[in-house]
Amino acid sequence: MNHYFIKCLTILIIGSISTSLYCQQKYERESRLKPADVPPAALEFIESAEITSKVKWYIEYGLETKSIEAKFKLNNKRHSVEFDTLGTLDDIEIEILSKELNTNLKKSIDIALSGNCSNHKISKVQKQYTGNQNVLLSLLKNQDFAGNFTTKYEIITSCENESKTEQYEYLFNDEGKLLQQFKIIFSNSSNLEY
Amino acid sequence: MNIRLLSLFKFIFSLLLTGSSYSQSTYQFGILPSINLNKKLQKDWSLNFKTQSRQRIQNGDFRGNHTKEYEYLLTDFSILSAKKVGLNSRISGGYLIRFRNEEIIHRTIQQYSIVKRKTGFRLAHRIAADQSFSSNQSPEFRFRYRLTPEIPLDGQTVDPKEFYIKTNLEFLNKFQSSDYELEFRLAPLFGYSFNDRNKLEFGLDYRFDSIFVTDPRHSFWTSINWYLNF
Repeated sequence: MNHYFIKCLTILIIGSISTSLYCQQKYERESRLKPADVPPAALEFIESAEITSKVKWYIEYGLETKSIEAKFKLNNKRHSVEFDTLGTLDDIEIEILSKELNTNLKKSIDIALSGNCSNHKISKVQKQYTGNQNVLLSLLKNQDFAGNFTTKYEIITSCENESKTEQYEYLFNDEGKLLQQFKIIFSNSSNLEY
Repeated sequence: MNIRLLSLFKFIFSLLLTGSSYSQSTYQFGILPSINLNKKLQKDWSLNFKTQSRQRIQNGDFRGNHTKEYEYLLTDFSILSAKKVGLNSRISGGYLIRFRNEEIIHRTIQQYSIVKRKTGFRLAHRIAADQSFSSNQSPEFRFRYRLTPEIPLDGQTVDPKEFYIKTNLEFLNKFQSSDYELEFRLAPLFGYSFNDRNKLEFGLDYRFDSIFVTDPRHSFWTSINWYLNF
């Protein structure tokens, strides 16, 4: 029995190593970043915003892009401030509840999603602000939402179609027009299930 | 979330320590390596093959009596067929064969699992039932629930070439003839993701069987799990 078991294990190990070498794929990933490794301009922006809660820094690798992200909680809402690798501000994202969406906007989003999905359920909404750095700094520091900036909405939703459920990320403008959509690929969870 | 989990662990440990007479307990140490292969099929179907072997290195009681001797105990081979039934959930069913000394045990398995993706961690729930049959024992029926949080050690998700911590917390209700036993398992594991299809975990698999009896057994297995996906 022992001999048979060792033989089986050897075959499984050799088989799996040779297969996994040919199955390499690229993934988007993120890593924690020490404040000392953050571009000075990004650090300076967050310091200027006088964030009192703990700020966590991340570096995010896309397929061909790299960005720096500061994540923190402000007024009990999750904030994410994204910069390029030189520390230039890209956008500010604030997580909100779907019920906080304006009624007309929510209606437009629902109509757009209904066109794509037979059934959908929104699981996360982020309000995305882009524009002049000083205006966005004022938004963050003084909660000044009256400035001249562009607002978009990043919506994560489960979408059911032909008895198959997938998760998508949609980007809408402030009038509810669909700008972009991505299918979210989940990482493998077999180590949690078996 | 972490504080809630810690409180839960503390509660369970206090329950175990107060519920058992420590001096009458026995223990065993050993190793428990496993290989877990998953094959994705069409239309949300998948197959899971698992082999696990149990080998004892030492056993004894808490009064100081012990035997230090390597002993091969058993090997399991199982195959489960699974179907994704929701965005994050799957139902599975299959068969396990266990070789233990001269004895062969056949087991049928049914399970439902759901993986929740939270900010900064994943949380899996598994509800399972199994039925074991062998020629010299009465059939055994088990109903089990397992909770598994997985926390990345870098960033908010477990990415390739990153370490993570995973903890299995499981309760097993066992029915055999007219006997009932409740087993508790806790497995804190340290994992490494070579890539999304290849993960290795190492840690302790602690099992406390027979919570409600006066002479329970504590098992401490060194667990090494290899997960491969095709």
